[in-house]
Amino acid sequence: MATDLLNILPQLIVLSTTAIVLCLEMARLPRAALWALVVGMLTATGVAVDLLGTDTTAFSTTFRVDALSLWAVIILGPATILFALLGRSELKDSAREGTIYSLMGFSALGAMILAGSGDLMFIVLGLLIGTLAGMAMAAHPRNGPSSEGAMKYFIYGSVAGAIMLFGLTYWAGLAGTTLISGINNPDLSSYAVMFGFITLVIGIGYAASLFPVHFWIPDTFEGAPVSIAAYLSVVPKIGALFALAQVVRDLPVSLVDWPLILAVLAALSMTFGNVVALWQNNVIRLLAYSTVAQSGYYVLGVIGVGQSSLAIDSLVVFGVAYALMNTGAFAITLGEGTRLDDFKGMGKRRPWQAVGMTIFLLSLVGMPPLAGFAGKFLLFGAAIESGYSWLAVVAILNSAISLAVYMRIVVPMFFQETEDRQIKTYAPGTSFVWISTFALTIAAGIGVQWFLA
Amino acid sequence: MDFSSLPLLSITTFLPVFGALVIMVLRPKQTKTAYGIGIAFASLTLLAAIMIWIQGIGSGLSQIEELSWIPSLGIAYRLGVDGISFPLVLLTAFLFLTSLIFSAKIKDNANIFIELVLMLETACLGVFLSLDLFLFYVFFEITLVGMYFIIAKWGHEHRKKAALTFFIYTLVGSLFLLLAFLALYLFSDPNTFDIQQLVANPTITGLAATLTFWGLFIAFAIKTPLFPFHTWLPLAHTEAPAAGSAILAGVLLKLGTYGFIRFPLQMTPDAFREFAPYVIVVAVFTALYGAFVALAQTDIKRMVAYTSVNHMGYLIFGVAIAAVTTTTSGMIALDGAVLQMISHGVVTGVLFLLVGALQDRTGTREMNEMSGLLKAYPILSGLFMLAAFASLGLPGLAHFPAEFQIFLGGFDVYPIAVGIIIIGLPITTALYLRAIQKVFLGTLAEGFSGVKDLGSRELWAIVPLILATILIGIYPDSLLSMIHATTNFFGL
Repeated sequence: MATDLLNILPQLIVLSTTAIVLCLEMARLPRAALWALVVGMLTATGVAVDLLGTDTTAFSTTFRVDALSLWAVIILGPATILFALLGRSELKDSAREGTIYSLMGFSALGAMILAGSGDLMFIVLGLLIGTLAGMAMAAHPRNGPSSEGAMKYFIYGSVAGAIMLFGLTYWAGLAGTTLISGINNPDLSSYAVMFGFITLVIGIGYAASLFPVHFWIPDTFEGAPVSIAAYLSVVPKIGALFALAQVVRDLPVSLVDWPLILAVLAALSMTFGNVVALWQNNVIRLLAYSTVAQSGYYVLGVIGVGQSSLAIDSLVVFGVAYALMNTGAFAITLGEGTRLDDFKGMGKRRPWQAVGMTIFLLSLVGMPPLAGFAGKFLLFGAAIESGYSWLAVVAILNSAISLAVYMRIVVPMFFQETEDRQIKTYAPGTSFVWISTFALTIAAGIGVQWFLA
Repeated sequence: MDFSSLPLLSITTFLPVFGALVIMVLRPKQTKTAYGIGIAFASLTLLAAIMIWIQGIGSGLSQIEELSWIPSLGIAYRLGVDGISFPLVLLTAFLFLTSLIFSAKIKDNANIFIELVLMLETACLGVFLSLDLFLFYVFFEITLVGMYFIIAKWGHEHRKKAALTFFIYTLVGSLFLLLAFLALYLFSDPNTFDIQQLVANPTITGLAATLTFWGLFIAFAIKTPLFPFHTWLPLAHTEAPAAGSAILAGVLLKLGTYGFIRFPLQMTPDAFREFAPYVIVVAVFTALYGAFVALAQTDIKRMVAYTSVNHMGYLIFGVAIAAVTTTTSGMIALDGAVLQMISHGVVTGVLFLLVGALQDRTGTREMNEMSGLLKAYPILSGLFMLAAFASLGLPGLAHFPAEFQIFLGGFDVYPIAVGIIIIGLPITTALYLRAIQKVFLGTLAEGFSGVKDLGSRELWAIVPLILATILIGIYPDSLLSMIHATTNFFGL
């Protein structure tokens, strides 16, 4: 029991931090709440770094303490701090500013629980915590678009969650246990397991923004504050995909050809996300569809689980890269404005920010030596090693399309003149976020070795 | 002389980008100062490259520099040089220096322009010197970004479209390269990205080797380019600024051809041998197609761009011959192909600079609107004619020894293919003679007389390249002996 508690210390720290943050908000001390979140998340991250290399389970194998769950804390802890700083820049002095910080903490806790799920109930629990907190954040501005977005998020979430819960009862019924490892039994009925898996993919795919359960994304992102959209694009996704990896680790291919199902979903997500992003004129919507595409690439790593030596490394490295580059791109968008026209002439007006945005976008395309490249490199390697070369080919063709998508932001920055209008300024928090993610996007690309097992 | 204590290859590679950093930090207000710094660093790079030469180019890979980078994946920072990569390093250093001198007239955002050109130089040198697939790929991709911005910012009328087409098209190619590299890594034993080990011991076989070969083929066929992957080239070459076109044709196309020799030929030799007949068909078609389409152009810059397609056809023909046969004729063809890279770099580089000078004066690239320019600009016209003669393969100038060896080597194995591909020669002759007749001979068209002939800046850029053209033409052995030592060492 004591070792169990010690092993899940990072998650416990996040939980207590969030509770403290909530109390501080009740005392109407948003600044203190922010600082409490920063300190708590850093502590949790530090503990997780210290635990790295552990591979065990806690509480009768219901929670897994392994590379995935620890890296989830190491990635999402600092990422949550960055999002909170963006939130501070955007929502400072708004009513209930502090609730954002505690909701971010709760939602991150949900993602961290997902990433270590050893039991189906943890998947359900993690998904619910994440969704409920996320929905409240999306509705924060209390105006038309944000309420509409949050409503869509909520309804999609409840339906997807209900379908998943229904399907998972089959798994539990068949295996006689809710432990994920219970499904690792070749004698089970293939059809029932397949049904359960498909419903699971619907539930997880919703949080991970995979096609075809991504429809809430563009509207929710557009209605929500930019900092919240940034948060929703990163945190739930990484938690959900790590959970998927935890499930397929124990799922025999003889029962369900899960790599094939995931491969088809990955191909559809990438293609749909990139092609639709080509027509967007709002940067947030463009980035929203781009997150759908990025999830598609990310699934390549899950397909490699159990079949490729690169799989876990690729999930971790791409997770780090994605958190950095996507956060950076959202931070610059927060500073500049959400219309494509807001980026016109940025190269002259703010050369460093323009270079920063270009680096984030090229990293999303997968240009070396940036972090996104290191991640995609490992993802493609995992897919090829698992015998899914055709999927790797689909992924590279999509990378080429995505270049056209991201260039739609780069071109106005450098080759068009600034519109005659009021230019927004960067809050200190926003500047801190884009500069730190900028430096780390380059550093993580060159120093991939740090993230490899 | 002995410089062995210095990491000469790394110094050569990173000197240009260091120059870019100096400009970035100093932010010179005067464009003259900026160009001074840029040209100084480009000259130092050339000097460093020459020091590598003095140090001695072995037949195998030598002067290896190695640093640990990502040991878990068998990736390291590895540089080295042999008789095939060194001539390209020399060409790169030389062509970037002259291009930078030529572009000193660009005043619009000059600092950024010079920084980009220097960054591009580092990337190109890095590609030729890398001995690690991962490192190679990193440099290979950076060239795309650099070139995209050069075309999109400083190009002509349709620059944005041309730049984006170039970027996306060649990105598709390099992504196929990435997949092929991953396959080479996954099928090597022990897993490594080390080019030396992959060359010494090509372990990939069967279907995997076939797929890898075609992945590499598509990647380099887009870059080179070969028909039907060439469609990005005319647009990019025509719309880029003169120096950009010279670098694009002179150096960036060589990334593709160098890749053909370094990767498929050495790492999947059996697959290449098996599919060489297809490659030969593509190469022959490319050579003839390039020649005929060039013949149909009225825009002089597009015409030169298409002759590049023609020359690349010859070049890949030579490489494919080397893949088929291990006899001396294969080696002769490969020697020719490597020399062709250098000849084409120098000759097409200078042709693009001359076309740029022409466009600066006449304000047009349409051959129908120019005539009799020999009277107005005797020096420019004379040099252009000389370069054109070199490009069509006149003996005594750079292309002749290269193409002669390619055809000679090929004749032994595929005489009929040589018979067909050689039709390209009279066609290019015809098109250049027609261009010379239209543009430089006849009566001087009105409005072209007032402007001066080539100035000293242009001469400093163009004359060294012309001298190199003549030198390679009359004394090809200056490079061939080095190239031959390495192709001999391949022992294909």
